[in-house]
Amino acid sequence: MTPSPSPINRPAVVAVSLWVGLLIGISRWVGLQSYHWFPVQASNAAPLVDGLFSFETTIGTFVFLAVASVMAWVILRHRAEKYDASDAEPIEGNTKLEIIWTAIPFVLVMAIAVYAMKVNTSLGVLGPMEHIHLADAREQQGGYPGDRLPAESIEVVARQWSWEFRYPEAGVSSTELHLPLDQPVTFRLVSEDVLHGFYIPAFRLKQDVIPGRAINFNLTPTRIGRYRLRDSQFSGTWFAANQADVVVDSQDDYQAWLKQAAALPLQAGISDAVVEYQQRLQQTPTPGWATVKPAPPPQVNVPGSNALPHDA
Amino acid sequence: MCPDPMPFPTTPEAMTTTPSLHQDQPPLSWTRYFGFSTDAKVIGIQYIVLAFFFFLIGGFLAMIIRGELITPPADLVDRTVYNGLYTMHGTIMLFLFIFPVLNGLNNLLIPTMIGAPDMAFPRLNTAAFWLVPVFGLLLIASFFVPGGPAYSGWWSYPPVSIQNPLGNLISGQSLWLLAVALSGVSSIMGAINFVTTILRMRAPGMTLFRMPVFCWTALAAQSLQLIGLPALTGGAVMLLFDLTVGTSFYRPEGGGDPVLYQHFFWFYSHPAVYVIILPVFGVFSELFPVYSRKPLFGYVYVCLASFIIVGLGLIVWVHHMFPSGVTMWMRNLFMFTTMLIAVPTGVKVFAWLGTIWRGKLQLTTPMLFCLGGLINFVFSGITGIMLATVPIDIHVSNTYFVVGHFHYVIYGAAVMGIFAAIYHWFPKFTGRMPYEGLGKLHFVLTFIGANLNFLPMHPLGLMGMPRRVSSYDPEFAFWNVLASLGAFLLGVSIIPFLLNMISSWARGPKATHNPWNAIGLEWLLPSPPPVENFEEHVPTVISRPYGYGTGLPLVEHQAEIERQLTLQEASA
Amino acid sequence: MTTTTPQPLAEHGEAHGGHNMTGFIIFLCSESVIFLAFFSGYALLKLSALNWLPAGVEGLEWRTPLLNTVVLVSSSGTIVLAEHFKAKDKLWLFRGFWLLTMAMGSYFLYGQAVEWGGLQFGFTSGTFGGTFYLLTGFHGLHVATGILLMGLMLVKSFLPGNYVGGEQGVQATSLFWHFVDVIWIVLFLLIYVWQG
Ligand code: HEA
Ligand code: HEA
Ligand code: CUA
Ligand SMILES: [Cu+2]
Repeated sequence: MTPSPSPINRPAVVAVSLWVGLLIGISRWVGLQSYHWFPVQASNAAPLVDGLFSFETTIGTFVFLAVASVMAWVILRHRAEKYDASDAEPIEGNTKLEIIWTAIPFVLVMAIAVYAMKVNTSLGVLGPMEHIHLADAREQQGGYPGDRLPAESIEVVARQWSWEFRYPEAGVSSTELHLPLDQPVTFRLVSEDVLHGFYIPAFRLKQDVIPGRAINFNLTPTRIGRYRLRDSQFSGTWFAANQADVVVDSQDDYQAWLKQAAALPLQAGISDAVVEYQQRLQQTPTPGWATVKPAPPPQVNVPGSNALPHDA
Repeated sequence: MCPDPMPFPTTPEAMTTTPSLHQDQPPLSWTRYFGFSTDAKVIGIQYIVLAFFFFLIGGFLAMIIRGELITPPADLVDRTVYNGLYTMHGTIMLFLFIFPVLNGLNNLLIPTMIGAPDMAFPRLNTAAFWLVPVFGLLLIASFFVPGGPAYSGWWSYPPVSIQNPLGNLISGQSLWLLAVALSGVSSIMGAINFVTTILRMRAPGMTLFRMPVFCWTALAAQSLQLIGLPALTGGAVMLLFDLTVGTSFYRPEGGGDPVLYQHFFWFYSHPAVYVIILPVFGVFSELFPVYSRKPLFGYVYVCLASFIIVGLGLIVWVHHMFPSGVTMWMRNLFMFTTMLIAVPTGVKVFAWLGTIWRGKLQLTTPMLFCLGGLINFVFSGITGIMLATVPIDIHVSNTYFVVGHFHYVIYGAAVMGIFAAIYHWFPKFTGRMPYEGLGKLHFVLTFIGANLNFLPMHPLGLMGMPRRVSSYDPEFAFWNVLASLGAFLLGVSIIPFLLNMISSWARGPKATHNPWNAIGLEWLLPSPPPVENFEEHVPTVISRPYGYGTGLPLVEHQAEIERQLTLQEASA
Repeated sequence: MTTTTPQPLAEHGEAHGGHNMTGFIIFLCSESVIFLAFFSGYALLKLSALNWLPAGVEGLEWRTPLLNTVVLVSSSGTIVLAEHFKAKDKLWLFRGFWLLTMAMGSYFLYGQAVEWGGLQFGFTSGTFGGTFYLLTGFHGLHVATGILLMGLMLVKSFLPGNYVGGEQGVQATSLFWHFVDVIWIVLFLLIYVWQG
């Protein structure tokens, strides 16, 4: 049953249009605000991701405010009088309206999806994924299987609970990740035990590291600074402490760092988990529940630091 | 077909004899709630009460979690303990609170709403219920086995979940798997029962398109259980073998693939979120008409939308795995399917808005919970759409943005909807009225608490704070303090609820058969209904539900039935 | 239930017998998803494996399993015959064919056990061993359940007043048996035929 067509009420139409205009304005403003909710933009992906998010925030804010306005209006204006138990006018539906509110969300979400797909394509973060034998990854400890790596690629080895970065061409290894500014880099992500997540919020990028696979992952840093790399796929007891620093250097500084590092002898890299595990062993009774023992810290040229102030 | 069409006695003689039927009931003693009853109404209440018992435990764990997270270092509990706590919090809340509480509503509402005397398989129903305390005990017992409970998250992703540091056969993880498997068996038994009951035991005249929306959503949700759960069970069996006998389905060393498990897990666990929300959509669809005094707007579309959600819900699971090593074409494909879910869901949301529009709103406790739940749901749906777009998800997946999204939808929408349902149908099944004042206090505390608790999680996620961490960098402290304060407020909010339930059940004012002046078969039964509901005197349904303001009766001889109920109430 | 006399409560439960078949069919649909999960797991693991067969294993011998398959699949026919005679109230013929079906099922299980006994690999021999035993074992469990159900129905046929409340048990068992057969056909294709 459709409601009897009510005569067009001019002031109402004007008021609703004004209100919708206001909501659009507010939504755009919130959309622009959303850029401030992120850490600094430090990779070529960041502006794209933030732009998409801003677009979605604008649409989302509008949808939310529109629904909230209707609810607020109804709550304020369409309340039953006290002791009025009578029924309202029985409107059972309106096919035209129903078609409209099926179509509009459809168009909106498809617009978002197409936009997002474009972003995906221009990011091109994912390279091929090869299946490897886990045993191979183990064999590589200490040595660099340079013949198997694409040129200019940095090998990232995730463990319970430390990160190791290997620069095969320079023959350098480190527990602090150094990257040259504005240069595309390819990572080869491998894990020696469980799932880990390679996540650098300032880059807006993340990729799980999967034991038994080597995953190629591409990005370009665009801002000099010190950032956090966080394990993003739960990996056991010291998951929270499995963080490393990412330092984006100018080209010159980066080359200098590599050269310097290559000259340093191998030493134990950073593993907060190992430190905490040692402390834990000293306590009696051992606190908490059973845990997997952390892998020994990787032997690297540069331990670096993960306690300096970071930009994001 | 049952129940058999049964002409309602219309002669005056027959009329006067009918009430006596309802009086030779066995004496209703509270002790029946502690035994193996086969009465769906008893089982329903058993489910709900047991679920809230576990809700307190799960909530208690959440309080410790928020206590730990109020400061950056891991200082309140050991890291191993933290990991066990959040794992058990998620598991208990989902498998021991939300699914059981919804099955409780199903038990109470499905038979009474469709005019069936009971479920199709009453004994199966009993068995399904009693499995819940069994696996609940198993799960709680896992806190006390050597090595502690499962700690690999409610996803139990291998290889972490098969690491088993102590090497014991009986470990927290193996008990966890056993409990989840039993929960699956119980849910399947329940689902078979609900679906059969809805399909085969409707009142005469109640065609599918005269069925209350709650039954439609229950049918949709339970179909998802039937399709999804076996996949999870299959995946979990393989995980159990990897953990206990050393097979290598998911073990990379033996050629297995850890990502395969993720597909099994999410093939079920994504649909599971619609198993949670669909019945709540049903509750909204029932309650908005009652408290707006208007028919549900676009009833047929709302019914059909549930099944569109079922269809789409089965083909979106990879959105939980965007960064997990799936290829680009999969990412794009599953992004599109996921986005489409906004459409049928939007149809429902707009239908509710159309229902309350120009209604005569009564802001009772249940209505407040519905309105609050609806606005929270829209918010969480929008963050869901953000998560569905791959580039955003790549940044925020496994961060607090996700935790914020799903607590908004689960606590902010689903649990609020469940509270609405409890307040609304409380008089029907206990025969007592809940107190409005306490109810409104409960609503205000819940609404503020939930928003204060879960809104700050979104900026945290955008800033890059991972979930499942026992310690975090100091820049995240501010929002975490707010979230923890909100959590403690939520903890407090449960006090007026419990007080209300206990005191009004014990000595609240007696409820009439239809205190909210609602339309529906369940409101044509005495409060509380007799054991076999309408018994043989099932009224014949002659119109669609929600005929508010239309003046159309729902069933044949409606006036007589109501007069009789009123007479009965007056004489009692 | 067409008179107005109130039914005693205790009897009401029996009146719901008509829903059993609906419930059972729903159960079977759900059950098939578990197999679907195992099948897709098998296919995915096989397709992505570097070394599918464990060292020293050449492949599976398919001739004896094929014979087993023929026996099992034909037993779907004998059970239909049994049901047919049941419908005609030829109880002895029903029992005969019913028993024959049980025997064929048991022969299949026996064949499976013999095959398992002669294999060079175990449950923990990589993903091939794991999935092979998982699939055949889980299916075997269903065959055993089917035989058990048939045994129960056979006993019931000797009880006085047998099948008065309808022969749903027989129908359900037979449906289950067809289900188990169809699953086996897919399984056979996946494991024995697709060896390349
Ligand atoms: C009841 C539970 C529930 C519900 C209903 C939903 C609903 C939705 N969820 Fe959510 N979700 C969870 C519970 C739920 N979710 C849980 C528990 C997790 C995490 C599990 C874990 O990791 O532990 C999760 C995680 C999760 C992820 C994975 C994030 C990650 O781990 O990286 C994604 C990604 O796509 C997602 C998306 C969605 C979408 C698109 C919807 C949609 O259904 C929402 C649709 C609704 C609306 C859109 C609002 C109403 C519509 C309108 C008003 C129309 C107009 C709207 C627009 C034009 C936008 N959810
Ligand atoms: C139904 C589902 C449900 C519900 C209702 C809740 C409710 C709450 N959750 Fe839950 N949560 C999940 C499901 C749910 N959660 C899931 C699935 C996860 C993911 C787990 C994983 O990652 O594996 C999760 C994870 C999760 C995290 C992230 C942990 C992490 O990643 O490290 C946090 C952190 O704040 C959190 C907090 C809360 C809070 C504060 C509440 C509050 O709403 C709780 C309010 C509590 C009460 C109202 C009761 C209070 C009781 C008392 C005060 C004392 C009672 C005492 C006794 C009698 C014992 N939850
Ligand atoms: Cu079903 Cu009587
Ligand atoms: Cu999902």
